[in-house]
Amino acid sequence: MAAADKPDLLKSRTVPELTSGMRMYLIVAALILTVPLWARFIPGDVIHMDITNVMVLAGIYSCAVVGLNLLIGYAGQVSLGHSAFMGIGAYSVAILCTTFKWFPTWLGIIVGVLLSGVIGLLVGVPVLRLKGHYLALATLGLGEIAFILFRQMIDLTKGTVGITSIPPLSMFGFQFNSDLKQYYLVWVIVLLLLLFTINIVRSRVGRSLRALHSSEVAADAMGVNTARYKTYVFVLSAMFAGLAGALFALRQLYVNPESFTLTLSILLVTMVVVGGMGNLYGGIVGAIVLTFLPEVIKALPSFEKFNNYNLVLYGLLLIVFMIFWPRGIAYGLERGADLTSRGARHLHDRYRSRRIEGHSKDERDE
Amino acid sequence: MNAMSEPVLRIDSITRMFGGLAALKDVSFDVEVGEIKAVIGPNGAGKTTLFDVVTGIQKPSSGDVFLKGQRITGMRADQITSMGMVRTFQTVRLFEGMTVLENAMVGCTSRSQKGFLANGLRFPSARREERQIAAWAEEVLEEVGLETRSGELGTNLSFGQQRMLELARALASDPEVLLLDEPAAGLNPYETSELSGLLKKLRDKGLTILVVEHDMGLVMQVSDDIVVLDYGEIIAKGTPEEVQNDPRVIEAYLGIEADSDA
Repeated sequence: MAAADKPDLLKSRTVPELTSGMRMYLIVAALILTVPLWARFIPGDVIHMDITNVMVLAGIYSCAVVGLNLLIGYAGQVSLGHSAFMGIGAYSVAILCTTFKWFPTWLGIIVGVLLSGVIGLLVGVPVLRLKGHYLALATLGLGEIAFILFRQMIDLTKGTVGITSIPPLSMFGFQFNSDLKQYYLVWVIVLLLLLFTINIVRSRVGRSLRALHSSEVAADAMGVNTARYKTYVFVLSAMFAGLAGALFALRQLYVNPESFTLTLSILLVTMVVVGGMGNLYGGIVGAIVLTFLPEVIKALPSFEKFNNYNLVLYGLLLIVFMIFWPRGIAYGLERGADLTSRGARHLHDRYRSRRIEGHSKDERDE
Repeated sequence: MNAMSEPVLRIDSITRMFGGLAALKDVSFDVEVGEIKAVIGPNGAGKTTLFDVVTGIQKPSSGDVFLKGQRITGMRADQITSMGMVRTFQTVRLFEGMTVLENAMVGCTSRSQKGFLANGLRFPSARREERQIAAWAEEVLEEVGLETRSGELGTNLSFGQQRMLELARALASDPEVLLLDEPAAGLNPYETSELSGLLKKLRDKGLTILVVEHDMGLVMQVSDDIVVLDYGEIIAKGTPEEVQNDPRVIEAYLGIEADSDA
């Protein structure tokens, strides 16, 4: 009897966990993929923006944020230089595809991703052997160096003028030249990265990252090669950011150094914090909220020049969330959904129990 | 025959200096396969430093450590763990936000190898490994009697159970040598006797155990052999009876204990 019970117990513990995780992912995917369907029914002059258009940018940021969330939220390492990797991805595409007209744009993306990974490795290996928060300082320097190089290597990057007339992404003769096409391109990529990252988080790799976040010494002692894990996760997040940068270049069709300043790095960190550190869906919520927020504010009368104050907004949000809502919006949403479903179940149960009571009364009456 | 007499762990004239201060002075001893060896000594005698040096968390100023005949001095802690020697900590260091089962699963790290790519893409081999890790973890939880708590947060357990979970997490790496840093600290008498039973059971399974402990009752009950440290130096070695009767030990340490116990 006991032997027969045991596998059942195991099953009931693991299987629903998996499917509920899968269900969450499918719900999020369905929500994201249907945005253009309903967004067109909201007339542009009501909110002064085209939702699909802004969502493309939010999706590009999401690529970087998913990786950065793995780094910050799981491994506990803060990077203040991910603008550098987005810049490397963007400039790789821009330089390759404008210098060599024949260069395929998709290959430019791959080069940008790999180059970001290599630079991430070169920075990460020496820095991440140290225990503690040296990464934030090192990456702060990296971001500044990258910005200066983008501006000063005029032969390659055309300096402050920037690189124009980048061709739009095309693959096998298919051109991603409209908002809608770009929306699906970008968000399908985000969903794939998200799935990949969720799988990592739920595996021994994810547990090792959380373990070293909690105590590096204890993780070491349990056999986790903490320096290697930290380096790998940093490289992975650098590659995600490189991909975001490449997509950014292929959307704007124009890059200049001003896009890749400390402000961008802080924006990405703010997206992670506001959305929810260690909550991968949260990071995406943060990316969407923080992409729309400046647009909404700019649309308000007499706030047209709001862009100059973006950094103030990010700083305020960082402070407020760190103090009052450190688990981010996603946690709040989850709690809300949880309470709602529990409330609904409670009502349902009460309704049913009343009905059963009613029935039994009826029976007794009969 | 030679393999029998070869010590599984050899600590060879380890010195560890902190500035001008020697936390360990020329400490040497062997740990034989399948024995429980205790390291005792007053506070500040260098016991935890010894553990840190042996497990690769600190580097010795001079001297060497050999595990199964292989020099491990200067190796990283995780390398030493994957060679079959694992430790627990004096202050419990469970992983925050992780369930009891997850804590034990982290302990299986050195027995598994699938990385970012295999797990990110959910290769069948990675999924198989994950199931294997969960099975190993449940096995060690059962060994320490925590199998019914596997879904709870590790930090929600009682202090004694947290210590047991730390022990389970260490056992999850399937070690040959287990280093326990004051495993009975903070345990009540019932839990301590449970622990001593468990240690003997593990030894009988062939595990070698090196334990730093303050609880003399536990030390005298379980250990086959004792090393006494005082001010970073070995002042006595021997069986529990020999050590208890050693005048230097009584002077440095046990005398006070015996008086206060009486």
